[in-house]
Amino acid sequence: MTGSGPNVTAIVIFVTFIVASLGITWWAAKQTRSTGEFYTAGSKITGAQNGFALAGDFMSAASFLGVTGLIFIGGSDALLFVVGVVVSWAFILFAFADRMRNLGRYTFADVVAYRLQAERLRMFAAAGALTVAIPYLIAQMVGAGSLIETLFGLPYFVAVLVVGGLMTVYVAFGGMLATTWVQVVKAALLLAGVTALFLLAMNHYDFDFNAMLKQAAAVHPRGQVILRPGGLYDDPINAISIALAFVCGTAGLPHVLMRFFTVPDAKQARHSIGYAVVIIGYFQALIVIVGFASIGLLVGQAGYVDESGRITGGANMVSVYLARVVGGEIFYGLISAIAFATILAVVAGILLSASAAVAHDLYAKVIRRGDISDQAEVTVSRLVTVILGLSTIGLSLWFRNINVGILATIALAVAASVNFPAIFLSLFWKDVTTRGALAGGVTGLVVVVVLIVLSPTVWVNAFGNAKAIFPYAYPTLFSVSAAFVVTIVVSLTDRSARAKTDRAAYDEQTVHAEIGT
Amino acid sequence: MSDEADILRDPEFRNMLKLRSRWRWGLSGGLIGIYFAYCLAGIYFTDVFARPVLGTAVTLSIALGYLIIVLAVVLSLVYIRAVGKLLETPIVRRGQGQ
Repeated sequence: MTGSGPNVTAIVIFVTFIVASLGITWWAAKQTRSTGEFYTAGSKITGAQNGFALAGDFMSAASFLGVTGLIFIGGSDALLFVVGVVVSWAFILFAFADRMRNLGRYTFADVVAYRLQAERLRMFAAAGALTVAIPYLIAQMVGAGSLIETLFGLPYFVAVLVVGGLMTVYVAFGGMLATTWVQVVKAALLLAGVTALFLLAMNHYDFDFNAMLKQAAAVHPRGQVILRPGGLYDDPINAISIALAFVCGTAGLPHVLMRFFTVPDAKQARHSIGYAVVIIGYFQALIVIVGFASIGLLVGQAGYVDESGRITGGANMVSVYLARVVGGEIFYGLISAIAFATILAVVAGILLSASAAVAHDLYAKVIRRGDISDQAEVTVSRLVTVILGLSTIGLSLWFRNINVGILATIALAVAASVNFPAIFLSLFWKDVTTRGALAGGVTGLVVVVVLIVLSPTVWVNAFGNAKAIFPYAYPTLFSVSAAFVVTIVVSLTDRSARAKTDRAAYDEQTVHAEIGT
Repeated sequence: MSDEADILRDPEFRNMLKLRSRWRWGLSGGLIGIYFAYCLAGIYFTDVFARPVLGTAVTLSIALGYLIIVLAVVLSLVYIRAVGKLLETPIVRRGQGQ
């Protein structure tokens, strides 16, 4: 860090954001009484609002701070991630938007359980949702804690308590309505902030992109390599695994899928993803330029990056350092506050999806077998939100030193390997059966966890072994394939009575999925 | 569930389903195929991807990445328009009106 104390602008803007978000929560709480209102804001969100909220869910600290850092280190190879994000959202639009909206009510488990044996599938889907949500929440909270510690000078545990406490209040009181509006406000702030950062940074180069890239290659310790492939990955298996993690993983994230149900119909669902694709495309296009522009402006600057390219405080700090260099203390404070607001809004959405998995899928539908009043389910959901919120705060304090990258990898890889195959095949393949979907899901989960543990990220970096047993950082090529193969083989060989029912209901499902009744 | 069976047998609905599938899988397959090709081509044709575009510092790798982002956005907008029109058929409206 550069040695100065807490930034007053950052604190003022952030406190303003907290006050505004609590105002939103208070307003939303008054309108949140039924389960439909709690989980999906009564399906009254418009396509444009939902588009901003969806984009906000994905424009997390990982993309804002992480991608700039990744470009700073690896150059053009980071485009693999950036392009993957936009492609994955377009894929969600083409393949899933309508069918998800038409078949589901509150969670993606509704969709998977539409024609397959509901209780078993719900248990599996809830487990999948939690296996994605909990590591993702801890990753964001640990990242937030460290970031706030650096930016605001607050102790780590205070930072985690603030983030965890606020997210719990948003969700427990304001449900999906508060979560959506906090996300919309943050998305607008983030877009404005990144646009300003882009303009100020490019102003230093007189908006000459050619000069900016030349300068980056001239001062970067790895020189021209940052403008060509090979900076981060030179192995086809890793590249395909990363691509698969994005394409399949995004479409398997429970907090993203849940937002399909907040709009009134399939048309609005399509429109909302259309907005999201445009917003995310714009954001990703700018962030790449910001990343390259930061190289020329930061390398060799005392206190930020030394001559060897080592960034003080880690790669996640690139965006905020750049803000200080191009915009001074006030702009630095603004970008820091936006980074904090980003994390806050994203964790609220993830917490809501985890609460819905436990309260709706497990408790209301499996344990109580649907025999529960609307009012009671909302009370249980709020209670579960508080319990999960407190557990996450505890885990984030406990796992303070865990590598955030590992947790984020786990979340996307699990979403791709466990949730995605079940959703995809239940929507589009007539012959999938309950037994097949469960067997495939369990296989995906086991393979993905085992391979991550044996990979260099955990086996070498975390456990300190000399050589990884599984040589690739990303397991998705193997885990997604395994899940698909097992689901297909088990489904095709399934001769049970249940299998007949599962297959027979496909035609009816298709009609509902296509026209929505 | 004879209503669904009726709708499913309707040639107009079947035609709509066929066109819908074509859009769905044509665009998904095309875009994901291009993205995977981009990921792999960077590894197998590193030198080609390192070439400057029009004599600038922008390499082919960066330019193609941006092109795919623009393509994804454009295809999304085209899809929303096309499918919106496709669904404006009497059979879909009748089904929704049930």
